[in-house]
Amino acid sequence: MNAPEGEGESMNVLLQPVRALGALAVWTLRLIGANAMVLGRTLFYLPRLEIGELGRALVLFGFRSLPLALGAATLIGATVVLQAGVYATKFGARLYTGWAAGFALLWEMGPLLLGLMMAARIGARNAAELALLTVNGQIEGLKGISLDPFRILVAPRVVASLVSVMVLADLTFLVAIIWEAVAAYFTLDLPVRVFFRSFADMLRWGDLAGGIAKTTAFGLAIAVISTAAGLRAAGGARGVGQAAASAVVGSCAAIFTLDFLLTPFFARLFG
Amino acid sequence: MRVTAQSVSLQFGSVRALHDVSLEFAVGSRTVLWGPAGGGKTSLLKCLTGLQFPTQGEVKWNDQPVQSRSATERREAQVAFGMVFQSDALFDSLSVIDNVLLPLRKRHVPEKDALERATETLERVGLSHAILKRPENLSGGMKKRAGVARAIVARPAVLIADDPFAGLDPVTEQSIADLLMEVSEGRTLIVALPDPVGSLPIERQVRFVNGAVAS
Amino acid sequence: MTPVHLVGAQALLFGRSLRSARREGIPWREVLRHMAELGAQSALLVGAGLAFFGTVIVTIAYAQARKYTGNITVVGPAYFELLLREFAPMLTALLAASRQAAATSAELGAMTVNEQVEALELSAADPLAELVAPRIVASTLTLPLLTIVGTFFSTLAAVFTVSFVFGADGAAFMDPAMVDPGDVACAITKAIVCGAFIPVAASLRGLRAKGGAGAVGEAVTMGVVEACMGCLLLDFIVAAVFLIIGV
Repeated sequence: MNAPEGEGESMNVLLQPVRALGALAVWTLRLIGANAMVLGRTLFYLPRLEIGELGRALVLFGFRSLPLALGAATLIGATVVLQAGVYATKFGARLYTGWAAGFALLWEMGPLLLGLMMAARIGARNAAELALLTVNGQIEGLKGISLDPFRILVAPRVVASLVSVMVLADLTFLVAIIWEAVAAYFTLDLPVRVFFRSFADMLRWGDLAGGIAKTTAFGLAIAVISTAAGLRAAGGARGVGQAAASAVVGSCAAIFTLDFLLTPFFARLFG
Repeated sequence: MRVTAQSVSLQFGSVRALHDVSLEFAVGSRTVLWGPAGGGKTSLLKCLTGLQFPTQGEVKWNDQPVQSRSATERREAQVAFGMVFQSDALFDSLSVIDNVLLPLRKRHVPEKDALERATETLERVGLSHAILKRPENLSGGMKKRAGVARAIVARPAVLIADDPFAGLDPVTEQSIADLLMEVSEGRTLIVALPDPVGSLPIERQVRFVNGAVAS
Repeated sequence: MTPVHLVGAQALLFGRSLRSARREGIPWREVLRHMAELGAQSALLVGAGLAFFGTVIVTIAYAQARKYTGNITVVGPAYFELLLREFAPMLTALLAASRQAAATSAELGAMTVNEQVEALELSAADPLAELVAPRIVASTLTLPLLTIVGTFFSTLAAVFTVSFVFGADGAAFMDPAMVDPGDVACAITKAIVCGAFIPVAASLRGLRAKGGAGAVGEAVTMGVVEACMGCLLLDFIVAAVFLIIGV
């Protein structure tokens, strides 16, 4: 976002805000352009995906994130019960804890918290790896031997992150719900059977679909943003670190924005 | 100060960086440690300066083991070492003179004396024209000179240079070698290098392979 | 590194940083600089993120209420308490953790692989007192402030959404009737605990970076993940403790 220096002194003070605004606009457009480019080229190469690289990326992003996703699921489930259960009890609706906790988990807390975790795990890692290749000149090297880095490196990673997050979301929701039942049993003395009855009676498949659709959208945003951040990197160890950091922050911002934009839409679609 | 390594071994997880290294560096001696990259030279230098503790064996400063000292004592004794780092390790947010002033300021030398000494040292390494520049705007040779200035400004008894010629052209290499010989007058000098070079006229050359001294 | 080792290493770093800071004194100028940086970097992210979140939970509450109770304002006070006590501190901590842990582990990681941390040590400076302690102090002081910002914006967004989108009385919906000092204490405790933890988790990974540029990327990944997971865990523990002592 830094405006180039040099002619600064001779410039009218009044022009400076205009100039800063212009720089901001250019920066924003570049950012959008870079992200759109990643997305576009991925779609373009979708029919001819590099299978080996896809498998590697799936292991790296999906399989290796499993312990983290399960750990997060445990915490999310227990936290949501703690939050929802207290209020359900206050309103004399203890029996509906299963529904309240399930609803909160599927629609909001599950996707949001899992998304933030994956922004850190997948986003930072993807950006760091690509940034390392970029600052070492390996991306340029691929172009030099007329291989498109987007086909070999980028498209498989975007697809792998998307698939990984989608699968991890299902698993996380399942584990979190089981932990919710366990937590409800211990903290609220709510029999597991009662928990799941209200869960099953009052929730519908649409609720699950809404949660998974949201998380998948987050996964796509993480993949695209972190890839663009990685390819933008410049300048040694510091550059790699900054690329990873900006991937995390960009992904988090995108997750909250998408949550805001998509929830009403999915609520109408599935709700 | 006499520095001794006594059967020093260093282990990072399953990786063995040093294996049973015994070396002595007498007061005022000059030594070149050479050997392929990854052979453990940098690890040994970091053990000698107390930046790293060996997993086995010990490093002694004037016959007193480093690890037997308290943290405060150790930090006071560390004043005896000046190190020129492989990556220069200059702070980009500080100007050259502020980089050189850092060791003096942290030792609470009065600001006026410190400035005098820093300017004098920068003059000595031939950087008096660039004292207000940022390190990122310096050439490789100039960065090395700034690194040497920072290493010697606190008047250490032992000067250590880790691969000081990496990435330098032969002419600059010779000038840095001359500088190291000149500023190490009256000090112990230890230089780590990938191959033995002609530019440094030093008798004692120790070859390092796979974390051990090769005969 | 197993989780037990990790927690041990974090506790050790925290203790040693505090001890170093006590010996060397706390550089308050540095603390202020870090606070300004943290605030500038995170306030927009936290404010905007939590405003979006406020809108979303009201939308969800509305959908729920329409289906089962018919009257949306009935559930309002509970939502406000839940927001103030649980959601806002947790999400603020997570967002700040991402922002701050990423920056800290990237910066310290780069300093470590460039040998600058060791250069500091040989310059008779204590890296823990210079680099870690000011960050811990700054973050502990800043996160409660950020939590207030987050709570404020999410409440504001919720009131606007209820008033203008659903056509109900927004101010009545976000009625603080159920909020008591215990809720505020719980929220602030969470913010303080997470604030102290985030820089420790990030610094640990940054200072342990070993190797080249790749190690810095790895440090950022691990630093952010551990900071986020730690915040979730600490929030859960604080919430559970407050629940058990009945505040």
